[in-house]
Amino acid sequence: MLNPPAGNGSSAIPAPASGPAPARRRLAALALSAAVLVTAAACTSAKSGGGSSGDAAARALTIGTTDQVVSLDPAGSWDAGSGTIADEVYAALVSAPNGTSDVAPNLAESVKLTAPNQYTAVLKPGLKFANGHDLTSSDVKFSFERQLRIADKNGPSSLLYDLDSVAAPDPLTVVFTLKSPNDSLFPQVLSTGAGSVLDEEVFPADKILDDDAVVKARPWNGPYGITSYAKNSLVAFEANSAYRGQLGTPKTAQVRLKYYTDPNNLKLDVQQGAIDAVYRTLPIADLQDLSGKPGVSVHTGSGNGIRYLVFDFKSQPYGSATAEADPAKALAVRQAVAHSVDRAQLASQVYKGTFEPLYTSVPDGITGATPSYRKLYGDKNGGPSKDAAAAVLAAAGVQTPVTLHLQYNTDHYGSSSADEYALLKTQLEGTGLFKVDLQSTEWAQYGKDRVADLYPLYQLGWYADYLDADNYIGTFFVPDSWVHSGYADPAVAALIKQEQTETDPAARTKQIEQVQDAAAAQVPLLPLLQGSTAIVTRSDVRGVPDKLNSAYRFRWAEISKG
Amino acid sequence: MTLAPPLGGRRDGRTDGPRRGPGSGARAVLRSPLVRYLAVRLLLVLPTVLLLLTAVFFLMRATGDPVTTAFADRLTPAQLQQKLHAAGYDRPLFTQYLDYLRQVATGDFGRTATDNRAVTEVLRTYGAATLELACWALLVAVAVGVPLGALAARYRDRAPDAVLRLAAVLGYATPVFFVGLLLKLVFAVGLGWLPVAGRASIGTELRLQDLSDPTGLYLLDALRSGDGAAVADVLRHSVLPALALGLLLAGVLLRLVRTHLIATLDAEYVEAARSRGVGGLRLLSRHAARPALVPVVTVLGLQVAGLLGGAVLTETTFEWKGLGYQLAHYLTARDFAAVQGIVALFAVVVAVVNFLVDALAALIDPRVRY
Repeated sequence: MLNPPAGNGSSAIPAPASGPAPARRRLAALALSAAVLVTAAACTSAKSGGGSSGDAAARALTIGTTDQVVSLDPAGSWDAGSGTIADEVYAALVSAPNGTSDVAPNLAESVKLTAPNQYTAVLKPGLKFANGHDLTSSDVKFSFERQLRIADKNGPSSLLYDLDSVAAPDPLTVVFTLKSPNDSLFPQVLSTGAGSVLDEEVFPADKILDDDAVVKARPWNGPYGITSYAKNSLVAFEANSAYRGQLGTPKTAQVRLKYYTDPNNLKLDVQQGAIDAVYRTLPIADLQDLSGKPGVSVHTGSGNGIRYLVFDFKSQPYGSATAEADPAKALAVRQAVAHSVDRAQLASQVYKGTFEPLYTSVPDGITGATPSYRKLYGDKNGGPSKDAAAAVLAAAGVQTPVTLHLQYNTDHYGSSSADEYALLKTQLEGTGLFKVDLQSTEWAQYGKDRVADLYPLYQLGWYADYLDADNYIGTFFVPDSWVHSGYADPAVAALIKQEQTETDPAARTKQIEQVQDAAAAQVPLLPLLQGSTAIVTRSDVRGVPDKLNSAYRFRWAEISKG
Repeated sequence: MTLAPPLGGRRDGRTDGPRRGPGSGARAVLRSPLVRYLAVRLLLVLPTVLLLLTAVFFLMRATGDPVTTAFADRLTPAQLQQKLHAAGYDRPLFTQYLDYLRQVATGDFGRTATDNRAVTEVLRTYGAATLELACWALLVAVAVGVPLGALAARYRDRAPDAVLRLAAVLGYATPVFFVGLLLKLVFAVGLGWLPVAGRASIGTELRLQDLSDPTGLYLLDALRSGDGAAVADVLRHSVLPALALGLLLAGVLLRLVRTHLIATLDAEYVEAARSRGVGGLRLLSRHAARPALVPVVTVLGLQVAGLLGGAVLTETTFEWKGLGYQLAHYLTARDFAAVQGIVALFAVVVAVVNFLVDALAALIDPRVRY
């Protein structure tokens, strides 16, 4: 007979039910406890947030976004998500006050063109980072040289294309030497992420700093600093008492930024009051739905993003690489398309008025924008003209219908692009002059195919790096621009060079208008729509204008709650 | 000289077979069909993971790169080429592949291209969230599937059985994101009982973020924080995602439990128990349940892959910041390193769980290894 194990007082052969029964009872008790716990949790008020409480937390502004952060290091990011945070935690020498596109001093007391190739900036005295380090001209010099040295694949270093060297002759003075004389755009470049001033005691000179290391070192010189950081999940900010920029003391001491993947969740959370504001990006249908909800305000207005069609000069009908190459006929086809599109219908039917018709490549509201395409095409009043389109094709001897292979994309430019381009096809074919072969390609392939001249006519969009008309013409109409349309007009290129170095604002505006008119006559691209900005806030959020213009920036320091 | 008792021999000195010398016991263990079987299964984990890594490596590169995806409408082809060169994406594909394998062999999965993070950090941060969701979902699946399957078996071919079978089919046939949306609309938007999305409310998340050495398992972290409201908040946020993912698996379990219980209830030994007067719940739980649950446990293990697949959709639907959620994001951005790292982890988890299931099956049923 086997002896019972030491210490076990039970009988050698346990009764059939005596072993498992307590275990089952324990299991049942555990399951019951879990069920009670879950039920109790579910029964607690939906508003109970748990965690931090108190007045400060209650007044904290919570913003939701679908953007994603690439990097907190300004040398390693050039995207909307990173830019949103960078604008709040870093400052540049100059910045454009809200609602304008003209820059004004920020960390600098002044920035002046002191020689044809030289800008001199003088810093405000006594500037500091949030970690207590002094902010001097040496930090500024370090920041620009670092951008150029690292030239990260995700970074904005290419914006500093005209910067030759930086000098810091004394702690408050920075001298920028440029490659071109009289570069009127350089102050705008200084206001971008490429011009963020960084703490040289924190950031390594030759590599990108990890986000966690950035947060730990607190190198903030913008209106806010980060107090808690879970990348692309939840970030908490607190007003930076060391900030001495143009915005002054922030109206809200604490801000939280919550990241979403599904816009549907973002919409539901702002609708139910779980967050206070939505900045980028809700679909049109959600914005329309929220407009009628109590407790929520939808602020809309012109944005600075544009959507347009590009003609590939090589592969378009009668293009230079086609068998029937004929520049005059190719131009006639482009002009006929320009006569045929109905932008107002695209804006109202597809985008429900959240986009606006665009008649030039420069968005309305930016100095120098002139509606060149409205003056030249359609009914000359913004509408389409089938007769004008037919006339221009007939005059050039183009046989109709002309087959157009039109490409668009939905995973980069949004699902509404499918509706937009379906309607565009209807408009073009409705004239009886065109037969449209409409195709969509995934973005990763699209980006390669379009520069390989595989798309005769295709969709593109553009968000400005900085709010200056040059960013909407210099990037499109110079030879070898990234648009890669094949368009090259020496007269237009010369005009662009002129406006980029023109110091007289009135003369520069005139030159910018001339560029738009000259380009419109050749139709290298066809502007269609100007995007809108939409910010959704709860009703107790103050500081966001009802009507936004294209130069409006959502700056947290100007927003308050309650 | 006294011979030591052979390894594997009984303490009383008696052995099953001929007397063997020192070390022969270890060899016997190695020659054991069970050990050989397990060793082969374990070794198969490596090529499985390698095959998957290879497939993902080449497939990802066949569909674009992160630089072009991010900058195709901002940079000239020459500038784009410069960035591709800086990232090393213009090197011969096979060279990149060998470098990648070399990296992985040293435990370095590289850095993400889109948000500049160490892939291992991504795995650690978001893996905890996915693990937590998977645990909740398994809990729901077992808590719902097993008792309801038993109930269906108990009322075989009667009304409750028909209803439950229909519910099971609906459970595993309905897409997980659709179930998620329905649950959200009813319980969060309509009734307002539960939160719409997220793993916790903002206040709780900030509190948990600020804990020293957080595990990333929110329930555990909330318990560590000692804040009852935070625990309740985390539980409230877990209910809908756990239901959405768990009900998918619950449907499968319900059907399995029902089928196997019915088979066992028809077995002779159960019939014998019944003839002794054992009946009702006692017959079900004491005599029929245990043998019927063996294949159920095996299938439960095999469902881990399905659970991870479902997690991608559940996490996206509920803003549950886990690996599935991140995988969807990185796939869109064509972030090679991130996708490869996450898929590698998924592959290892599935392969290891499958190995454990094989081992369990072999231990329970000797026929498996032959």
